[in-house]
Amino acid sequence: MVVAETASMQGALTQSAPDNFHRLSFTGSGKEYFGIWIVNVLLTIITLGIYSAWAKVRRNRYFYGNTVLLGRGFEYHANGKQILIGRVIVFAYLIFYNVMLNVVPIAGVILALLLVVFVPWLVVRGLRFSARVTSYRNVRFDFVGGVGGAFLAFIVGPVIAALTLGILVPLASRWSYRYIGSNLRYGQRAFATDPLLGAIYKSWFLSASIIIAGLAIIAFVGFLNLAVIMALFDGSVEPMGGMPLSMIGLFVLGYIAFFAIFGVAALFYRAGVRNVAWSATTFDGKHQLTSDLSRGRYAWIAITNLIVTIITLGLMRPWAAVRMARYVNEHTGVHFEGNVGEMFDRIAQEGSAVGAEFMEFEGFDFGF
Amino acid sequence: MASDGTDIAVGEWHPAGSSRSVPARLIEDNDGLKALDQAGCELAAGVFAAVDFSPRVGAIPRRAEFPDGSLFETTDNDAIDRFLKGKGKTNFIHEWERFRPRLIAFVLATVLCGVMIYRYAVPALVEVAVLVTPPIVPKIMSASTLETMDRTVLDTTALAAERQQKIRDGFATIARLSNRGEGGYTLNFRKGGAIGPNAFALPDGTLIVTDELVELAGDDTEMIVGVLAHEIGHVELEHSLRQIYRAAGVTGLIMMIGGDIGSGVEDILVQGAGLLTLSYSRAAEAEADRHSVELMVKAERDPTAIARFFDLLEKELGDGADTSILSTHPGTPERRKAILDYAGALRARGR
Repeated sequence: MVVAETASMQGALTQSAPDNFHRLSFTGSGKEYFGIWIVNVLLTIITLGIYSAWAKVRRNRYFYGNTVLLGRGFEYHANGKQILIGRVIVFAYLIFYNVMLNVVPIAGVILALLLVVFVPWLVVRGLRFSARVTSYRNVRFDFVGGVGGAFLAFIVGPVIAALTLGILVPLASRWSYRYIGSNLRYGQRAFATDPLLGAIYKSWFLSASIIIAGLAIIAFVGFLNLAVIMALFDGSVEPMGGMPLSMIGLFVLGYIAFFAIFGVAALFYRAGVRNVAWSATTFDGKHQLTSDLSRGRYAWIAITNLIVTIITLGLMRPWAAVRMARYVNEHTGVHFEGNVGEMFDRIAQEGSAVGAEFMEFEGFDFGF
Repeated sequence: MASDGTDIAVGEWHPAGSSRSVPARLIEDNDGLKALDQAGCELAAGVFAAVDFSPRVGAIPRRAEFPDGSLFETTDNDAIDRFLKGKGKTNFIHEWERFRPRLIAFVLATVLCGVMIYRYAVPALVEVAVLVTPPIVPKIMSASTLETMDRTVLDTTALAAERQQKIRDGFATIARLSNRGEGGYTLNFRKGGAIGPNAFALPDGTLIVTDELVELAGDDTEMIVGVLAHEIGHVELEHSLRQIYRAAGVTGLIMMIGGDIGSGVEDILVQGAGLLTLSYSRAAEAEADRHSVELMVKAERDPTAIARFFDLLEKELGDGADTSILSTHPGTPERRKAILDYAGALRARGR
């Protein structure tokens, strides 16, 4: 059976059609992942979170290893110690920062400014780490982006997006996708991404409409119940900080509706932007990547996954994670130009991504 | 000669750092492990200890890295496991992870450990955090809270100076007997506006009473002093700080398993933990009530004054609601009864 599989892998690789399109697939199963997942959760809880670093390695190895292109899986190479050290450093800095902020406010302000410089550096480090611990066909990925680009994509982008109440979110998305996509390398060959702003705005308009429509409905329902709310306010507010139950119920409902609207809009947007950005990406100047997620289907899977996970008190989470991975992989593919087999025969890794130079620890966690 | 030794598994071999692959098989002979191509020629070799096998995860391909950096890869996980077992190496994590009935026990153990940590480990860590917090922290927190409230809801008091003085005098008699002493507290009067008849304490000892509460109490200054004794209780028992640390601790724990539960569930758990904090604050209210009774007894004032306040609440505002998990304060009738019982018990002990 293994021989046959190997033979078919070779068969796929030696096809010499001028343009061949290959989709990713996902070969894992919810049943198999359940065992890995429950052991991860149990050991993480017992060790008060320390095992979470090793849990991440096993989880990523499972998902990368079952992400298959042309009959071969990806591989995740990080070890738990590297991830734990990275987490301890970030955690220690955050505690130090919070303590200083309270004890010596001036030092806290300086540390906050330092953090603005520090975060892009950590992000670069995290991206480089994630790339270098990922391999396909025995060749590692690499990331060559600098701190300046990370500052634009992950500090300036979110800030202007927030300041403009989300109107410039597509610009921030474009920056971050371009920064990640154009600085990614596979065996010294470059990926290049330049998603068009207009195409991202098309996705953004749908999500913005969802938010506006949703908020309008909440406002309308709120208006209908205005009398009730007013009565609660002027009649029965319990002194000494208390609140009657009906009032809390009303707030909780509004809260849930609010998050649901933004959640759904974010899902639609995420799928839309992924399609735009991946489909605007090439590898080695000629191989075209494609993403063709259906936004509605993607949102449906994410929402039903969440509901099923909650109803089963988390027990169906492995099934949900596998279901999402399968859907996303099956709607991602590559148009290879020329002979795939010959191409992969020539790719070799050299330079900075080679084994001995791995960084000892991870920065911020940025998966691909 | 090349076909001597025992076959371990069939797969593919990659030269070091190259994506080129060659169909190969892994064998073991007297010299150690070898990867051979289809013609039986040696591709790579190494003694067992020098060849690095990747730990098994599910059914993903298994890798054996040779000392020269080249790689043998196979999907035949079971064959590799058998071989490694023969060498006395078993991966116990993978053994646990297999889909077997014993996973049910793991599920139960996970739930049990989660509950134990929530019930015992988090409260213990909160106590440690409260102990090491420097006093400047609550001071800064309180100053900014009061400033925000003054800007948004509160307004300057319209109470007559003599009324204020009467309450201040009563307050001084109980503050003097508290652990922090009279200097540990500052009493402020404010017009409550939207928050109505209310009194609250900030963690540094700043107390705020709204005009609406004073008016509701009428001439019963004792009642207001009882309420203030309750607020002193919140400050001395450090309820605000505990609540913050508790929320931070629970959120931290949730984030640790965040990667395994997905971001959607993680968000919901964080929000849910916030709601549960409300029910935790109910215990804090009951504690502060008992503190009020103790302090009033110590000051030789009326320990049941605060209970009269609950009477008044029930009558004026019709608050007869029972306690539920979502409410921040225990139901008013329930609370009044607990106060009277406790005052009675203290009095009996005093005699």
